[in-house]
Amino acid sequence: MATNANPMKPYLGKLVGIKDIATNHKLFQIELTEPEGQVAFADYKPGQFIFLSAYGAGEAPFGITSTPARSPDFVEVAVNDLGHVTHALHGMEEGNPVGVRGPLGNWFPMDEVKGKDVVILGAGIGGAPLRPVVHTILDNRADYGHTTILWAARAPDLLVFTDEFDDWGSAPDTEFHVTIDREHPDWSGNVGLITNLLEQVNPPSGENVVTIACGPPIAIHFITLTLLKLGYTLDRMLTTLEARMHCGIGKCGRCNMGEKFICSDGPVFWQNEIAEFLESDV
Amino acid sequence: MKFVTREQLKTWLDSLVESEYDVVAPRDVDGKVLYRPIGSAEEVLFDYERPDLSAKGCFFPATEVLLRVEQQGSRVTQEEVLPDRQQVIFGLRPCDAHGAAVIDALFLQEDPPDAYYRHHRERTTLVGLACPQMWEGCFCTSVGGAPDDATHLDVLLREVEGGYAVEAVTEKGEAILEGLTLEEREQKPGFSGKTRFLETVPVTEPEKWRPLFEDKIWMRHGERCLSCRICTYVCPTCRCFDVVDRVTGVRGGVTHIERIRVWDACTSPNYRRAAGGHNSRPTKPDRLRNRFYCKFCYYPEDFGPLGCVGCGRCVVSCPVDIDIREVMQDVAAAAE
Repeated sequence: MATNANPMKPYLGKLVGIKDIATNHKLFQIELTEPEGQVAFADYKPGQFIFLSAYGAGEAPFGITSTPARSPDFVEVAVNDLGHVTHALHGMEEGNPVGVRGPLGNWFPMDEVKGKDVVILGAGIGGAPLRPVVHTILDNRADYGHTTILWAARAPDLLVFTDEFDDWGSAPDTEFHVTIDREHPDWSGNVGLITNLLEQVNPPSGENVVTIACGPPIAIHFITLTLLKLGYTLDRMLTTLEARMHCGIGKCGRCNMGEKFICSDGPVFWQNEIAEFLESDV
Repeated sequence: MKFVTREQLKTWLDSLVESEYDVVAPRDVDGKVLYRPIGSAEEVLFDYERPDLSAKGCFFPATEVLLRVEQQGSRVTQEEVLPDRQQVIFGLRPCDAHGAAVIDALFLQEDPPDAYYRHHRERTTLVGLACPQMWEGCFCTSVGGAPDDATHLDVLLREVEGGYAVEAVTEKGEAILEGLTLEEREQKPGFSGKTRFLETVPVTEPEKWRPLFEDKIWMRHGERCLSCRICTYVCPTCRCFDVVDRVTGVRGGVTHIERIRVWDACTSPNYRRAAGGHNSRPTKPDRLRNRFYCKFCYYPEDFGPLGCVGCGRCVVSCPVDIDIREVMQDVAAAAE
């Protein structure tokens, strides 16, 4: 980064697409409207995040849910209407201006994962930052081994990216399983937590398998315990963490887990790194 | 040594006020001693103890506008509000200069630098005044400082018989002293040596803090914390911040917005509460522990300096007498 740059100043952008993807969840497609922003976002990686500004309401961090390969003209984030900034975003329309800082943080080491089998576990909106992982594997199918995608939500109407399930499940050498937490009249598929689904599917563990998980802290915690039970080891488990951070560049203090900052040391970590943190809730 | 009288200093300060500088100095504000901008040298305190607040607000204001944004329909313009005023802080205590150096380690030396902080710091000259003695709660000598430490200053003044000894520490310091007539004297400035409260507080190395994370120390000190956050407010090294937007008005169809950075405190109950309600530091001991680990374990490991300069402000400010010196002693004892 140039010495004179101000990393707290967003690039200007506008919403070029807004899609309902689940109850209270929207997918926002953001076009960077300034050349500097377009350059900055020419080659972002799966697992990186942005700060998205709804001017007047504020800014908040979101994991990027797109890849430059599939959407060269816009960046996508999935937003659950939960807080002040997310609510303001949900009130926006196509064409509305936004601000974007980033791309921030490290990323899933997709090159290291090449040649390996992959187990992807997405719980709730935690699936959003894993979609670029799925897309990267499917778009470079020969580079990766057998891929198992486990997807979960509390209820059917909270499952995200349902319109892509067929595509994912029918890709070569790829299995897709989905579950919801509790019985629901509109649901005839798997019922139970993602950890139950994981035990049921029981994808073979081994030296050549990497797991990639994201979800609420409690879900990551129990996914890790279940993976250990099934024979996986911490040094082959990847996860991405989040916190209500304010800068994204290691200054504001909000997101520390012990001596590490989720924003600037992460957000992607191997579980054996997390095990060394003095403080962790996953 | 170079010598100057108080009257000469006042004349010089008045000339600085008249020039391009904003001059900040210790002033009596409703019975509190605070580093505040002055309009005349008459407002400056020369005989004061430790200002009630640190000087960090001069580089890292408690509330600072980062951007001014104007929005009209789909059109947005945003202007960075980067400070451009030259600033002199007169009468800075050495611990407060040390505090700035601690924040520098993260805000300047760690990539990417903070643009706002850097603008303030590059445009600020620090003219320190040595403490004639240590004050209640002070322990700067235990954490690498001293009441007459010149290290992080541009100029150090020391009170001597009839006036002040003047030491230019940096080129910036030499530049600011142009216009001040200094008299050469044989005498050497000495520390008055009144060490009424001088005490040694043990500093435990960062790695020895690690096994104490689950120690009962944190419950013992943390359970009486009121989460009032005064310790972080008065601290010269606490630098957590929040960023919020404020709509300042709608005029002629244009919405005027300020994006503001404000001081934050890791001891605040909702500091780690996320959307959805999860709070990874739900208890007061959790949060107190984080503050102490930040200062003595994380900050030195991540950025170099200790996160404490021994100013003692938190010691005298805490409404329930949580005393950082006691905590440090407890940690040292437990680390044995």
